[in-house]
Order: sequence, then structure tokens, then C-alpha cells
Amino acid sequence: MRYVVIGNGIAGVHALETIRKLDPNGSITLVAGETFPPYCRPMISLVLDGSLTEEDLPVRGPDFYEALGVEAFVGEHVVDLDAERRVLTTDRNRNILFDRLLIASGANPRRIKAQGLELGRIFFMRNQMHVRDMIASLDGVEEALVLGGGLVGFKAAYSLMKRGVRVTMLIRSGYPLSMQVDAHAGSMILDELVKNGLTVRVGAEVIAFEGNGFVRAAHLEDGSTISCGMVVIGKGVRPATSFLRTQQIAVDLGVLVDERLQTSVPGIFAAGDVAEHYDVARKSRWVNAIWPVAVEQGRVAGMNMAGRDVSYKGSLSRNVIRIFDLDVLTGGLVNPPDDSYLVLTRMDPRRRTYRKLVFRDGRLVGLVMVNEIEQGGVLLSLIHGGHTLPIEGEAVLEPSFNVARLFPHQRGFLQARRTGK
Amino acid sequence: MSGNESRFERQTITKDGQLLLRKAETDQVETAWDRHQAQAPQCGYCEMGLSCRICSMGPCRIDPFGEGPRKGVCGADADIIVARNLGRMIAAGAASHSDHGRDLVEVLAKVAEGRAPGYAVRDAEKLKRLAAEYGISTEGKTENRIAGELAHAMQEDYGTRKERLQLLNRAPQKRREIWDRLGITPRGIDRETSEMMHRTHMGVDNDWQSLLLHGMRNALSDGWGGSLIASEVSDILFGTPKPVASRVNLGVLKEDHVNILVHGHNPIVSEAILEACQSPGLLSLAHEKGAKGINLAGLCCTGNELLMRKGIPMAGNHLMTELALVTGAVEMVIVDYQCIMPALGEVAKCYHTRMISTSDKARFPGMEHREFHPESASETARGLVEEAVENYGRRYGNGVYLPVKPVELLAGFCVESVLEALGGSPGPLIDAIKAGKIRGAAGVVGCNNPKIRHDHGHVTLTRRLIENDILVLGTGCAAVANAKAGLEMVEASRLAGPGLREVCGALGIPPVLHFGSCVDNVRILVLAAGLANALGTDISDLPVAGAAPEWYSEKAVAIGTYFVASGVTTVLGPTPPVTGSLNVVKLLTEGLRDAVGATFAVEPDPEKAAVFIRRHIEGRREALGLPFVKV
Amino acid sequence: MKKVIVHPERCVGCMQCMAACAAAHSRSKSVHGAVLEFPIPKPRIHVGSGIYGEGFPNRCRHCDPAPCMLACLPGAIYRDDSMETVLIDPFRCINCASCAMACPFGVIRYHEDRAAPPGKCIAVKCDNCLERQLQGLIPACAEVCKSGALRFEEPAADLKDKTDEIARRISLGAVEGDFAHAPALALLNAFKRAQREVNERRP
Repeated sequence: MRYVVIGNGIAGVHALETIRKLDPNGSITLVAGETFPPYCRPMISLVLDGSLTEEDLPVRGPDFYEALGVEAFVGEHVVDLDAERRVLTTDRNRNILFDRLLIASGANPRRIKAQGLELGRIFFMRNQMHVRDMIASLDGVEEALVLGGGLVGFKAAYSLMKRGVRVTMLIRSGYPLSMQVDAHAGSMILDELVKNGLTVRVGAEVIAFEGNGFVRAAHLEDGSTISCGMVVIGKGVRPATSFLRTQQIAVDLGVLVDERLQTSVPGIFAAGDVAEHYDVARKSRWVNAIWPVAVEQGRVAGMNMAGRDVSYKGSLSRNVIRIFDLDVLTGGLVNPPDDSYLVLTRMDPRRRTYRKLVFRDGRLVGLVMVNEIEQGGVLLSLIHGGHTLPIEGEAVLEPSFNVARLFPHQRGFLQARRTGK
Repeated sequence: MSGNESRFERQTITKDGQLLLRKAETDQVETAWDRHQAQAPQCGYCEMGLSCRICSMGPCRIDPFGEGPRKGVCGADADIIVARNLGRMIAAGAASHSDHGRDLVEVLAKVAEGRAPGYAVRDAEKLKRLAAEYGISTEGKTENRIAGELAHAMQEDYGTRKERLQLLNRAPQKRREIWDRLGITPRGIDRETSEMMHRTHMGVDNDWQSLLLHGMRNALSDGWGGSLIASEVSDILFGTPKPVASRVNLGVLKEDHVNILVHGHNPIVSEAILEACQSPGLLSLAHEKGAKGINLAGLCCTGNELLMRKGIPMAGNHLMTELALVTGAVEMVIVDYQCIMPALGEVAKCYHTRMISTSDKARFPGMEHREFHPESASETARGLVEEAVENYGRRYGNGVYLPVKPVELLAGFCVESVLEALGGSPGPLIDAIKAGKIRGAAGVVGCNNPKIRHDHGHVTLTRRLIENDILVLGTGCAAVANAKAGLEMVEASRLAGPGLREVCGALGIPPVLHFGSCVDNVRILVLAAGLANALGTDISDLPVAGAAPEWYSEKAVAIGTYFVASGVTTVLGPTPPVTGSLNVVKLLTEGLRDAVGATFAVEPDPEKAAVFIRRHIEGRREALGLPFVKV
Repeated sequence: MKKVIVHPERCVGCMQCMAACAAAHSRSKSVHGAVLEFPIPKPRIHVGSGIYGEGFPNRCRHCDPAPCMLACLPGAIYRDDSMETVLIDPFRCINCASCAMACPFGVIRYHEDRAAPPGKCIAVKCDNCLERQLQGLIPACAEVCKSGALRFEEPAADLKDKTDEIARRISLGAVEGDFAHAPALALLNAFKRAQREVNERRP
């Protein structure tokens, strides 16, 4: 059996390990653009803020491929995939044949349209190399401009602030992380960032950058100008699918996969940021481009590729964010699309906590927790499992909520419980 | 925010409580409810009474599953440990009431000596009646001399020189014979408590039944001793209650007045404060400071004492004490002792409120200590009220939140005032009971407890009882709960059953009679004893019952025990820590019937407690040959 | 291999396991000494309360595969296969709380710890008292539990006990959850249930 994996992100890494575990003799080949040993992408911002060094990033050793018996072609990008002939071609004109293929090519930063993008010190922040370049050009930078208030924009801004750089953030909605949190938690995050020196501009877009070799200022569509010695573009990511022939493989936003994470072509699988599977809270197709989902999907895809039939129930968006003195944990549908959802919230100024629960048909589908987040995993697993709550939703808002509350039948307490609402 | 309102409704049935809980959360004030939640789970060994901290070979605990340790280091089993723990709870409760009584007797003694200028004998008739009971001749003696001799005689009741307490004579003959037969006739008030501490020391009384018998003796030393003396001497010094109209809940605080709250139990301090509040000098100072007057209101039982005698309004009961401060309208809280949460000082820090402790034996974090002595009480009180007036101008900007209107009530019921309402003799009451218009009477008494929705136990049980023509006598926090619910106004008789409604209408009384503070539970006993004597029977034969639907304190354990030991079957809401010994449980709930003609019951559900009480009362009616119904 | 097996129905909520756990992870190894240490040692077992206020000893299950381990960004969470224990490397941990999202039991806490560099907060969870086990001691929580809620035993033996118990109940026709062997707790539970029902009743 010839296995080929495209991408050495965490989905690819777990797939490689899983395949090898189940098939000790098959031939495994890896093609990946990244030349570093497998490392933790979500941690690159901690290198930028100075709390970690590049040595802390690898999640597997330098002999990882060798020890697994994987033939690795790193620093090579796949430029074509012929699903019918079951062969792929790299930018070094290498043709690789496969029986089972995993597409774990990840995602690329979304580009923006503006003049002057060719100027120096305008960065994306997606990989280790980006951060290495940013740190190399930090010297003398006092002001930075961050475009976008999503996870990348937020992390870039937060890291640069911790480096002592004055940061201005341009965001479209009223608060950062609007895809991850609701308005209330968003305003708490915003307050925390602003309290620590962040400047936020809402609603404005950059039309041009100005500078002399290096960026010096950004011009906004409203006519104003922001001076900046560095720019970070964090306008989200797009699944990396440019090498795919869409007439062969079904691609929507990401590569469409079934419950075994197989694409429309038998024997070709996809996992991680590039894959479009199913979101258990949204109950629809969705790309959840987050680390833990990539891990899950890499493992499931690897098992199916190696012949062990395993189905994947679906992914759940979730995030945990720590900002100065604020811990925020979210998951599922935090901003319900219509009023058919039941929303329970509680603010407790005494404990400086906020909790929001979103229910659909008695089932928990969304969660926001600010501070005291230790029980978040209990609730996320409830969302993921799609179970009805055995207790009233209100009880989950209590500070004393813990997993024991979900087992009212233990110890002889036999009374039937009302279902969650 | 969705969710919060129903949470507050779950915590308390009172509107003022719900609204102030919300404000407490906004103001970041922690309350007993929060701390109760933070304690969960509460230790099961302790809940079952199976942990023992009495000696230093321990602490020990007994495994309820019978596989781990079944005996403490000393060899005490579950029965002994549970009985010892219960005994010590009774001792603590009896000690609290009795020490409160002792302080009043000391003031009486000082009045006699002319060393308590702010105090006087206000009810000379009662003084003489008591003196007669104690065998003190009053002929040709001055009031002060009688007072001195009575105080001395009462002090003897505290000691060890007597074989039996004086006021036991008020109990029916049959009852006293039972006590003698069981060997539980209380000898000295302090003696029984002291002996309980002795018996429960390692290696003394290790017969759980004998321990529980002494528990009853100890409790009787409270009910027919310390508490009774406290109640009677309070009447002598401050006047015997008469029906008096007043108002209740946090709405009694006034935005444009200097608000002073008294909190605790003993009227010695609060009566002095009341006098100072009425002094013209301080009133004009209040006007100078822009206030329309000085508004004194009560919390817990010291408030009940003032309410009963002076009609001073009640701000709230135990669980309202923190929330009263959250109104931001309180200039000063003056506390004496018992049931004063040590959290109050911390709550007060969020507002301009000044917290004053006054008793040498009761000090609290975050309170200023201004000790009261009978010799100088008036000056101390005036000084404090003046400082409270000065504090009026220091209210926080957006602070004052008084969202409810007060509720009217008629208070001031006691044996004397009930007899007066009846036209001088218990005859009409007995007739009403015999005729079945009133099926019987129940004392609904006791505390608040965050384990139970605040006031829900009291009010639900009381409503069910009066609906079924059972007259309710309330004291303490239970009485305040029912007052807030509007059950202690004359108009509340429309909520009573037809018979009780008719009797209340004829007498002009509410169906729920406010009988005072928690030491005033003895007034209920004395009334029951009077009825039994009039019928030539024992208390345990009467169609009466007791209930403590929301009790929390050791004092309540002592009260419950002296009720039962006196023949009044009593239903508890919260479970006392005794379930660890089924022998003890069985004795308390069944075995005592043969011994004292009454038992304990535990019923957290007030609806079911009402059924239990009705069944009990109808059973007693049947035994007395009165018309009865099957419940 | 013996493991700490949790019998939640026997927990009386005394929290002694929490104190013993904290002490076992202190320098001084005693409760009295531990409270004087900095950082103050904290328990890895957490006695939660159920809806009736009953105790529940919530302890790491050392899952395999462990969701926390899969979610760990820096790869600080690992498995000691010989001891069947999931452990956290205090030096690799970056305190990101990704494991908080992953743990379906909510047993991980975040604070300073004796094992971590001074001043660094890390994720902390049960380590099966490996330090004690190396000394021939059993895990501290099981050692102090007197009601049998936490027992250090062979899983197979425990399974047999449970099977026997079920067989016994069926043959006696006992009601599920009927605590005939612990009437004191059964009575307490009955009161707690009644109390809660009253409190939950709509006004």
C-alpha cells in the first residue's frame, strides 16, 4: 500500500502516526511546504511576544519522519493532483504515485487589496517563518497596525503589545474575536485590551500603504492616516486547495469529505484546515480550522486510510483565549442566528465572570465563559455529544457547576429530572 | 439578563429580598447564599453527626457503610457520637438563651441598687407577680427592694443551690411528674449545661439514651428557666407587650430619615438606643443635617423585642440582615449578640454604614466596639445615635435603594395580652377549640436557613395551618416572615378557615399571632400550660404542635427539645445532624412518645408538614373526646 | 495493576481527599506544613457537589486516548504507559488552557506549583501519586478515604464486587440505589431530595 500525505501540520502528523501504527509495512510519503520539523502553529504568537523561543515550537523530534519510516519531501509544494491517474506533482516536478492520499494542506492567509502591499514590514502571521521575519524587523518599530480582529489579528496585537509596541487594530465589528465570542464577552476583551494600551478603530478599511522601502503609514478609506512601522494582516484564512482539479474532487469552501473523511474520490481523504466536514452545533457543513479538530481528523483519516473503518461525527468550533487577566472559553454557536434558540446568561461582577449558554431543542449548542473556565470541557463535551441536559440549564450557570451535576441518578436519587431548558 | 430573576426567586420568596439580592450582585456583595453554595458539598460525616472533635485522640468519624471505622478512638460508636454531638448542640443553645436571661437579671439587680440610671421597673405588677411565684413577700417593700430580691432569687435559679427551678411550677402537675419520673427535672440553669459538657467529655456518659435524657433536662433548664427568666424580666424592665400596630420589610427604611438598625437579641441595648432616638436634641440635630427624623428599625429578635413593646418597625429577619445594608440607606447598625453574621462588617464596607458591637462577649470583624454597661447605657446610646446622625450626610451618591412598600402588622401578643383579648380568661379560647372552630394551635418558630428558600417554609406552613382553622403563634424569624407575607394583620383572617376567621373577627386579632422573640417561645409554653391546667390535663394532650421550618441555630435545637420534653410534638424543616444513628432517630421520632408524650418529626416540605400537624392535632382532639376529622 | 477506583455513591463529601492530595504534593508532606508553603499546594482531586448537595470525588480518569493529551499544544501532556498515568511536563506546559476545553470531566486546574519554575502557572492534574507509589505508599486520596469512595484496588476485583452486588440485589429484589447497607446515608439522602424538591417548586 502506498500512502501519501500532503502537509505536515498537526493533521498530517497525526495521520502519519496513525497509519504507521496500523500498517507497519506500508510505504508512506510526505510532501510538505514547511521545512521545519512538525511544530505548533498556534504557539507562534508566543514566540512573537517573547515568552517562548523557536526551540519550544516543535511537537515532534527532528528524526520524526525517519523513525516512522516516512519518506519526506519537505519544502516542496504540490502543484497538481490527478485523482484519476492517482499521481501528484510537486513544484520540483516530482511525480508521486499513491493508493491512499490525505490532503492536509491546511489553509493560507486571506489576501487584501490595497496599494503599497509590496512595502517591507507588512506581514501575514501564519507560520514560523513569518514570525521569525517579524521579530527580525521589530527593532525600532514603535507603532504597529493590525488589520482584523480575528484570532490572528488578536494574537498579533496582543503579542506586539507585550513587546511594548503601540498597536492600533482595525476591526469591522464592534469588538475583536467576533467569530469566537458574543458581544458581551467581546466588550470585556476589548476593555481589557484597551485598558492595556490597545487603540481600536472600528469599520475602517485600508486602501493604501505608504513608505520608503518599509511601511510608514496606512491610508484609510475615510481619509485618515495611521502611522505605523509594521503591519500585520490578519483577515482570516482560506483552505489551501489551489492545486486541486475541482472537476475531479468536490470542493466547496474546503474539500468536501464524508463521515470517514474521504473526499468525493475513493481513496483520497482530507483533514484539518483544508477539509469541509460537518459542524455538530451548526448542523451544517463547515470548516473548523482549529488545532484540536485537525488532530481529531488527522487520526480518523489515518485510521480509515489504513483500513480501519472509523466514522467522524463532526467537529465543534471552540477556542480558549487568555488575555492579561481574562480567560475566555467559547464553543459552538455563540451567537444564535434567530430567536428560536434559548439563551441563558449570567454576569457575576463579584467573581468577574460571565457565562452564556445557547440551547436548541433542549440541547446545549453554544457556550461562552469568561473566567472560571475549568468546567468548559464538561460543557463542550455535552455540546459535542448532542445530549439533552439532565438538569435545568440554569444550574449550569451556577459557579458550583461541575460534572457531578450531570449524574443526578447516582446514590439513589432516582427522581426523574426535568430536561434541560 | 435572563435567568437571574428566577434564581433570586429560588433564594427567597420576598420581593425585597429578590430585588436586594440583585443589587448585592451588582454591588459585588457576597451573601450567605453565595457562601452556602461555596460550601457545597457539605461534609456528610458532619451532616449525619458522625464526626467527633471532642478530644485529641481524634478527630474521629464513623463510616456510614460500616466497612471503614465503626468506632472512634475511644470506642464510641455512632449512637454515642451522635448523642454527644446533639447534647452539645442543646447545651450551646440553652447557654445562649440563659446567658441572655442572666444579663437581664443583672440589669434588674442594678436597677434595684440604683446603679442602672437608664433603666427602671416598667411593669411593677408583673414584678410582684413574679416575686410571689418565687415566694418573696412584697408587703411594705419598695419596688426596688422587691426587684433586688427577685433578681437574687433568679440568680439562684442559675446556680446549684436548688433542686428544681422555680418556674417549673407553671407546668401542669402531670408534666412535672413525668419529668420527675424520667429524672429530667432541671435543677440549675447553668448546672445542666455544665453537666452536659461534663457528660459529653470523653469517658463520662456513654449511654446514648441517658445522654439524650440529659439533653431534655438541659433544654428544660432553658425553656422553664433561662429563656423564661429572659422573657419575664424583659417585661418587668421594658413593659409587658400589648397589641401594637407596626410595619415590616425593608420598606420601613426611609430615604429622608437617619436610619438606625438594631440587630441581635437582647433588649437591654436596643431599648437604650430607642430612647436616644427619641431625644429632642438628637432629633433637632438630625433636622440640621437635612434629615426629616431618626428612623429606628429592627432586625432579628432584638427588633422583635422593640416591636412587641414599642411598635418599632422590623426591617427583616435573619437572611435579610446583609441585604438591609445593601439598601445603602442605613447609617448605623448596632448589634448585641446571637445570629449576627460575622460577614456583616465586610458588607458594610461597601456602603457608608457604620457597624457597632456593644457586648463584651460578642465582637465582630469590621465593627467598632462600643461596650454597653447598665451604668452608662443612656450616654453610650446618645453618643452612638449622634454619630449615626452625623453619618447621614455620608451616604454614597447613587446608593439608596428602597424598592418596596412596607407591610402592616399587629404585634404584641403574649399570654397577658391574649387573655386580655379573650376578656380575662382562657374560657372563650377553650370553647372555640372545643367547638372545633379552632382545631388547635401551632407554634411556628425559628430561623432562616439558606438551605431553604427564604421564608417559604414559614409562610407556606402557616398558610396551610390557618386555612385549616389552626391558630398560629409565631416568634423570631418565623414571625417576621409571616408578617412580611401579610399574615399578621387583622385582615389576614380572610385567608383563614371559616372557624378561625370567625374567632379572629370577633376578637379583632390576626390568625397568626406575633409572640415575640425567640426567648419568647416560652410564652407559647406558658400559654399551653395554662390551657392544660384549665382543662385539668397535660400539655401533651392538647391539640397543639410546634414547627421550625427553617431553623439553623443551636438555640433552635434547645427550643425544639424543650417543646418536645414539655409535650409539644415538633416538626423540623432542616434535618438535625442525627441520621448517623438510627437508634437516636428512632428515639427522637418514636420512642419519646412513650417517655414524654411528644416526638420530633423532620419534614422539609412545608405542605407535608402541615398535613402532619393537622393529623397530629386531630388525633389529640379525638383523644380528648372532641369533634375531630380524619386527615 | 492496582488503581484508584472511584465509588461516587459512597462519597460523603468530607473533602479529606482534597486536603490529603494537596499535602501529598507539598514539600513537607503534611497538611500542617503544606499550608505554610509557597506556592501553597493545591489538590488535584476535586470534590464537587451534585444537585442534591451530595459529594462527588472528581479525579482524573487517565483516559486512553486522553483528550487533554491530544489537545495539548506544546506536547506537554504525555502518558506514562507503565503506570497508566497521564502526566503534565511542568516545563513544557504553556498554561494555554487548551486542555480545559478538552477534559470532559473538568479536572484540570491552572496555578503555580512546586514542580514548576517559580512564578509560572501551569496546568495541574492528578498524577496518581507516582512519587508516593515509588515509596511503596498508595495514592493519598485513597489512603484517607474512610467511606470507601476512593479505593486503591485491582480493577478486575472491583468489577467482580460490582457484579456480585448486582446479583445480590436482584436475588433480594432490592430497589436500585436502595442503600440498605448504609441506612444513615439513605436517610440523609431522602431528606436532601425532599429539601431540593421543595426548593425547586415553583412559587
